[in-house]
Amino acid sequence: MAESLGLIIGISFWVVFPVAFPLTSWALGRWYQGRLMEALVANEKAHGTILQSDRFSSTTSKMDNMAATSATLLHVSICVGPSIGQMFLMWIKGIFGGRLQSYDAVLDFGRREVLFRLKQQADSFGCTSMQNIRLETSVVSFSKSGNDRRGTSVEFLAFATGIRQ
Amino acid sequence: MQPAPTIALHMSNVETIPGKTITASLGLVTGSTVRAKHIGKDIFAGLKNLVGGELKQYTELLNESRNEAIQRMMMQAHTMGANGVVNVRFATSNVAAGASELFCYGTAVVVE
Repeated sequence: MAESLGLIIGISFWVVFPVAFPLTSWALGRWYQGRLMEALVANEKAHGTILQSDRFSSTTSKMDNMAATSATLLHVSICVGPSIGQMFLMWIKGIFGGRLQSYDAVLDFGRREVLFRLKQQADSFGCTSMQNIRLETSVVSFSKSGNDRRGTSVEFLAFATGIRQ
Repeated sequence: MQPAPTIALHMSNVETIPGKTITASLGLVTGSTVRAKHIGKDIFAGLKNLVGGELKQYTELLNESRNEAIQRMMMQAHTMGANGVVNVRFATSNVAAGASELFCYGTAVVVE
């Protein structure tokens, strides 16, 4: 009896844990990232977004240049990564291919957050408009062991020229 | 290494410095830094990976390093006798496992 109980515990440890751990991580990650996204949406509503405004553009503007008194370089970066559970599910999804929704959400969050922070930085430097807004994406992995992809995260860098008028 | 003295130059990532006039162009200046996180913070970030989202440790590290790269670029421009850098660009590359290179470059100019 005790032996079979031990066997059951042993099997469930090796079967349940590898499945339950990513699922727990996925559920926790979903909840946590949902909260981050809610906070970002609330912030965007309260302070305004950089998008769809003629004061913030990804080109240069002669009109702005003429009115400018001074300019400064603004740059913000943010590192985001999916949770272990999401990566596990993405790996499964990768077998069939198709849209990876959880990764979509992570990258969307990162990009919107970095643009929001760029606007905040512009406000704190007293800039009323921004020109030549550039967004760059790069993969950073600080994991010390070579092929370990668990430490992989995505860095978003936003930089622009802030104009004071 | 001695900490670089903080200097502030006019900088922009467009071809001019809005509100100022460029009188001379002095050529390309660059600044770069390679950084790795100490293993304790790495482990902490690994734990943070359980839920995903923003990895503040790495954000901090990259911001610090980028500021250092900019500082070095400004030092170079300063020693050339420039007081501004235009068309500043950034590049990030993963040079080795656990390390990242942050690079920035621009054109040193004299403005008034």
